[in-house]
Amino acid sequence: MIRHIFKLIWNRKRTNVLMVLEIFVSFIVLFAVVGLGVYTLDNWRRPIGFSYDRVWDVSIDMKQVNDDDFTQEQAETVRQVMLVFREFPEIEQTAGTMLAPYEFGSSSSSYRWHSRMIEFGVTEVTDGFGDLLGLKIVEGRWFGPEDRGQRYSPVVINRAMREDLFGSGPAIGQTIDPDQEPGQAPQRSGSGAAARDPGEPAQDKPRRIVGVIEAYREDGEFDGTRNYVIYRKDLDVFDAADRRNRPPRNMLIKVRAGATAELQERLIKRLQAAAPAWSFEVTPLADMRSSAIEFAFVPLVGVGLVAAFLMLMVALGLLGVLWQSVTQRTREIGLRRAKGAARVNVRRQILGEIAVMTTLALIAGVLVAIQFPLLDIIYFVEPHVYAISLAISVTAIYLLTLACGWYPSRMATRVEPAEALRYE
Amino acid sequence: MIKSYLLLAWKVLLRRKFFTFISLFGISFTLVVLMLATSLLDHVFAGYPPETKHASTVNIAYAMLKGEHSRRNGFAGFALLDKYARGLPNVEMMTVVSMPSGAYSYLNGQRIKSFMKRTDGNFWRILDFQFIEGGPFSETDVKDHRMVAVINQSTRQRFFGGQPARGKSLEVDGQRFTVVGVVPDVPILRLVPFGDIWVPHTTAKSDSYTKDLVGDFMGVLLLKDPSKIALTRDEFWSRLKTVPMPDPMFTSIESTPETLFDTIGRMFIGDGTGVGTGYGDKLKLALAIAAALFMLLPAVNLINLNTSRILERASEIGVRKAFGASSWTLVGQFIVENLVLTLVGAAVGFVLAGWLLGLLNGSGLIEYADLRLNYRIFFWGALLAVGFGLLSGVYPAWRMSRLHPVQALKGTAR
Repeated sequence: MIRHIFKLIWNRKRTNVLMVLEIFVSFIVLFAVVGLGVYTLDNWRRPIGFSYDRVWDVSIDMKQVNDDDFTQEQAETVRQVMLVFREFPEIEQTAGTMLAPYEFGSSSSSYRWHSRMIEFGVTEVTDGFGDLLGLKIVEGRWFGPEDRGQRYSPVVINRAMREDLFGSGPAIGQTIDPDQEPGQAPQRSGSGAAARDPGEPAQDKPRRIVGVIEAYREDGEFDGTRNYVIYRKDLDVFDAADRRNRPPRNMLIKVRAGATAELQERLIKRLQAAAPAWSFEVTPLADMRSSAIEFAFVPLVGVGLVAAFLMLMVALGLLGVLWQSVTQRTREIGLRRAKGAARVNVRRQILGEIAVMTTLALIAGVLVAIQFPLLDIIYFVEPHVYAISLAISVTAIYLLTLACGWYPSRMATRVEPAEALRYE
Repeated sequence: MIKSYLLLAWKVLLRRKFFTFISLFGISFTLVVLMLATSLLDHVFAGYPPETKHASTVNIAYAMLKGEHSRRNGFAGFALLDKYARGLPNVEMMTVVSMPSGAYSYLNGQRIKSFMKRTDGNFWRILDFQFIEGGPFSETDVKDHRMVAVINQSTRQRFFGGQPARGKSLEVDGQRFTVVGVVPDVPILRLVPFGDIWVPHTTAKSDSYTKDLVGDFMGVLLLKDPSKIALTRDEFWSRLKTVPMPDPMFTSIESTPETLFDTIGRMFIGDGTGVGTGYGDKLKLALAIAAALFMLLPAVNLINLNTSRILERASEIGVRKAFGASSWTLVGQFIVENLVLTLVGAAVGFVLAGWLLGLLNGSGLIEYADLRLNYRIFFWGALLAVGFGLLSGVYPAWRMSRLHPVQALKGTAR
C-alpha cells in the first residue's frame, strides 16, 4: 500500500514537489510563531517571585547620562530622599534599587566561572527590598546590617541559578567570581538603560552567596531570564570606587491600601523640594505591569493574526490544488473503482497520498527546526519549549492538510466508474 | 494583442469563481500586510508637515566615546553639538533638540503624562509647524531662560479642555510654564518633531546637560546643498579630533551628520562599533529581504494553485500551439493573466489596508497616529504586486508553455 502510494506520488512529482515545498514552508512559519507563543506562555505560568500589590515605583532622574560616576553629594541627596518617605504615614516600607520591576531595560552579566560561561541578570538593592516585595528565601538569609564592612560582597541568587551552578551541592558561602586569567580582563556585557554589571572594575572583594530566593523576575510574567543575582547596596557607606554602591535610580515604596494619585502629587512636591535639580516620577507597579503586558502582547497578537491568515491562505490553496487533482484523476479513480476497489479504499488512497507528502515535508521541516537548539542559536529557550512547539506544529500541519484533503477525497469516492471511464 | 490577453484574463477570472476567490484572498492578504508596513515606513520617513524641508536636513543623532577598553554611546550630547557643530560649511541653520522625555503633571487629582522636548529657537524655523494659536518661542526666550512652552492640541485638550491656552500656564514635572503657542499633534513615530510640550532647553532644572558629549540631544542641520553633505561631514569629523576627552579612559569621539534613514537604520541594525556610514542602505536591503521572505509562502501557494490549474486549460493551449503559437507567446499570455489577477488583488488589498489603517489610528496604539494611504503607498503597493505577480507567475507559465500539443489536445498531459 505505502509503496504504491509512493509510486503514485512519484508519477506526479512536479506537482507534488510544489505541495511538499508549500507544506514545508508553512511548517517553518507555524513553528516560529507557535514557538514564540509557547515560550511566552511558558514564561507566563512560572512564578514571578514578588508581589506588586500596593507597591509604587519612584524613579529618580538625576539629570546625568551615565550612572558610573557618582558624587558624595548625590549619595547624600539620596539619603535625604529616603528620609522624606518617613514623613508620610501612608508609606509603610521603602527600598532602593537600581532597576525597578517592570521597568524597561535590564542589566546582565556573563563571564567564565569554574571554566564555564555563566550568564545572569543583575540588580543592586538596599536591605529593605526583599521584605517589601515579599521575596521568598529558600536557603540562607537576606541581606542585613551584618554584611557591612565585611571582606566579602554579599549576593543573593535565585533558585534557578543555584541549581544551575551548584546542583544539589552546598551553595551558601560559595563565591561567583569570574575566573582570573592572567592578562585578561573579565568579560562583561550589558544592555538597556542602566546596563552594566556593577561588579567591575573595582572588583576586589569576593562575591559570596549568603542566600537563595525562590525567584525574582524583574520584568514579571514575560521575563525570560533564568539566572539572577542581587547585590547589596549600602547607602550609609560612601566609596566612590565601589560602583555597587552608586545611588539607586529607583525607590520602591509600599503604601497603605487606598492611596491615590493625590498622594503621588504630594509626594512629588515634597521630593522636588528635597532635590530641586532632579526629577521624579511615581508610578504604581500595577500600572507599569499593565503597560509592560500591553507592550509585549501587541506585537504577539499582530504576529499571531498574520500567521493565522497565512495558514488560512495555505489551507484554501491546498484545498484548491487537491480538488483540482481529484478532478484531473477522475479516469484513474474510475478505473480503480471498475476493478473493484471500494469507496473507502479510494478515499484511503487520496488521504494516504496527502499524509505521505505531509510526512516528507515535515521530516525536512523538523530537520531544519532542530538546528536551532543543536547550534545553540536561541540559547535562552529551554528544550521542553522546543519539544512542545514541535509537537503542536507537527500536529497542526497534519490536521490542516488532512482537513484540506477531506472534501476532495469525498469527491473522489463519488466517482461513478462507468461515467469516469468515458470522461475526457 | 495585449487587449485580447486582458480580455482572456478577465474571462478566466470569472470562469472558476472559487479558485479566483482563493487566489485573490492570498494575494490581497499578502499585499495588505506589505502595504501596512509600507505605510508605517512612509509615516516615519516621508516629509509630512512639519517636516517640509526633510529633503535638505540631516541629523547629528549619534555619538560614541571610544577608549581602549571602554565605550560609551548614545545620542549626541549638548556640548558636542553646541561647541563643535555650529557654523559648519554648507549649513544654513542648525537646531538642537532633546529626545522626548516623559514628564508628569497632576491636575484635579489625575496624573497626566506628556512628552517634553527641550529645544531652541531655530527648531521652529527648520520645522514648519502650523500654529493653531500663538507662535513659537524665540532665540531670545531661550537665552533668557524664559519659562515658556509650545503645546500640542491634545495637551491643550487635557489641561485646558480645548479652550484657548495662550497666556495660560501649566505645571509639568514641578516647573511652571506659560503657553505661547499651540500646534497640531505630531505622531510619535516622527523622531525629530514629535512631542507634547516643547520648551527652551535652558529651562532644564540643572545645567549639567551643557557639559555632556554623549547625551540625549540631536542636532538637525538644514543644508544649503544636500548633495554636498560630504563637505559638512569632513569638517565636522576634523573638528571632532580636537575635542578634549572628559575621562582618560577614552581616547576619541565619533559622530556624524546623516539622513534620518541612516539614523533609523543605525538604531535597528547598527553594530555599535563606531560611526560607520551607510546604515540606510543596509536597512533598505534588510527591508527588501524581509518583504521577499514574507512573500515566499503566499508565492509558493499561488504557484501551486496556478500550476495545478494549467491542465484545466490544456485543450486551449493545445489548439493555440497546434496553430503555431510559440512558447514565448504563451508564457507572455500567462504572465499577463497572472499580473491582472495580482493587480485586482492589489486593488482589494488597497481598500482593505485603508480600512485597517483607520482602525489602527482609532485604536490609540500609536500615539497621534495619522496613518493614511497616499500615492506613494499606492505606487509601492503596485510595485510589490507586480513583483509578486512575476514571482508567482513565471514558473507556472513556463510549465504551461512546455505542454506537448498532441497530449494537451488529448488531455493526457501530466
